[in-house]
Amino acid sequence: MSRDDFFADAYREHYGAVGRYVARRLDGQSWEVDEVVAEVFSVAWRRRGEVPDDVLPWLYGVARNCLANTVRGRSRYRRLLLRIGNHGAAHGQWTAHGPEAEPPGAWVREALASLSESDQEVLRLTTWEELTLEEVGLALGCSTAAAGMRLHRARRRLRTRIDRMHMTVTARRACDD
Amino acid sequence: MTDDLELLRAANPVRADDKRWPDGPLDFHAERRLEELLGERPRHMSRRLLIGVAAAGLAVAGGLGAVITGTGSSPAAAAPAPLRPDGVSTTVPLERIARTARAVAAHRPTRARRGCHVQEWSLSMETGPGAREPVSLPEERWSRWNADGSGSLLVVATDPRHPGRPVIDGSGLRNRVVTDGEILSRKRYPPGSWGGESMYRMPPPSTPGALRDYLAQRYRGAGSDTEPLLDALSELLTQWTPGTRETAAVVGMLARTRGLRPAGAVTDRLGRRGQAYTFGGRGAPDQRMVILDPGSGKVLGLELSFVKDVKEYRVKAGDVLSYQAWI
Repeated sequence: MSRDDFFADAYREHYGAVGRYVARRLDGQSWEVDEVVAEVFSVAWRRRGEVPDDVLPWLYGVARNCLANTVRGRSRYRRLLLRIGNHGAAHGQWTAHGPEAEPPGAWVREALASLSESDQEVLRLTTWEELTLEEVGLALGCSTAAAGMRLHRARRRLRTRIDRMHMTVTARRACDD
Repeated sequence: MTDDLELLRAANPVRADDKRWPDGPLDFHAERRLEELLGERPRHMSRRLLIGVAAAGLAVAGGLGAVITGTGSSPAAAAPAPLRPDGVSTTVPLERIARTARAVAAHRPTRARRGCHVQEWSLSMETGPGAREPVSLPEERWSRWNADGSGSLLVVATDPRHPGRPVIDGSGLRNRVVTDGEILSRKRYPPGSWGGESMYRMPPPSTPGALRDYLAQRYRGAGSDTEPLLDALSELLTQWTPGTRETAAVVGMLARTRGLRPAGAVTDRLGRRGQAYTFGGRGAPDQRMVILDPGSGKVLGLELSFVKDVKEYRVKAGDVLSYQAWI
């Protein structure tokens, strides 16, 4: 199989997964996600000679870099427009009201967002992309052991944030009572 | 208490079975993109792409920051002023132009022709410390196609507002000053290639509803929202020159589109009189304007402009982000 065929197969197999990866990290419109995904595969195409057999974690790594560049530019521009246009609905889904609120996703994401970007990424790769530690290592460009260490530390910090949020809400309730 | 990783899994904003990005067969857009990559076919540089390239922080070439208010030998770099309806003439409802276009199509039916001739201006912006003034990138494009799928694309750096003056070429990674009329790109395509634009390989339909469906299949959101619909129309018109029947379909479709407001008569950047219809503004940061020939319904131009200052990009309300004038 030629590298081009290999690339085409990988593209078809993982297009959806890369789309979901980008969408999870980009609270924007569908077309924004599509643009970043297109950029991811453009980069992957240019680097198709170095695509490993385990493609998906590698593609996530490419996507992470594309997001880092692109969010600062293209998508940030769009979000800027949304922000100055007072399109509050674009941000509403991320508004957290505390651990007692339903559904719980918002406040968990708020706790996640309070961590460093590297902590967030290792946690997201593990839970949202459901990668193994070895795959997380591939995506982050580090060893499996290092990925395990990063995950361990990130979990500890997340746990602290969640507990703190829980305590804050509990204390607020006590005051209200 | 629930395990923290379980909490995170439950908070996943895009589930693995999300229908917007499913596993399995690719949609039309994704297949088209793959075709482009495999064939390394040229991709039309859209306004959005230009925005992205510029906004991503790619530097404008050194020295261009000083050319905004140049003399006869300086590039025409400043952003074009937005078109202003004269405010005197009576506005014309879109439905009236749609009736005119239908009458023209009935009297003199012609079919869509692949290819187009368009003059474009796009605003290149920088962000971050030391960002320079936005500059305008003008170019004229001709694409022509033959019955066997062979064709050609010619791109020339020119600004008809300032004939003879140098212009800025933004087609590369770095902007550069070139002489008026310099050929930026000349491509020839062999039979059967259709330029790789498979998304618009089929000619556009000649009824408003079918045209909207056609665009919605090729541009996400065009079936329900006005903004992507206008973007899709812009893309279509860089691939096809509508005949009278398709023109009637375009205007009929616009007449049924929510949020387009008649703004009055304007003179476009090529000196043609038209009727303007706007979308956006009123709290939104940008505004789209469609300019139609009231005598035929032909789309003369599409303009996207800011209606608010955006300090980060050093743009002011009224700056034109892009303008396309179909010739």
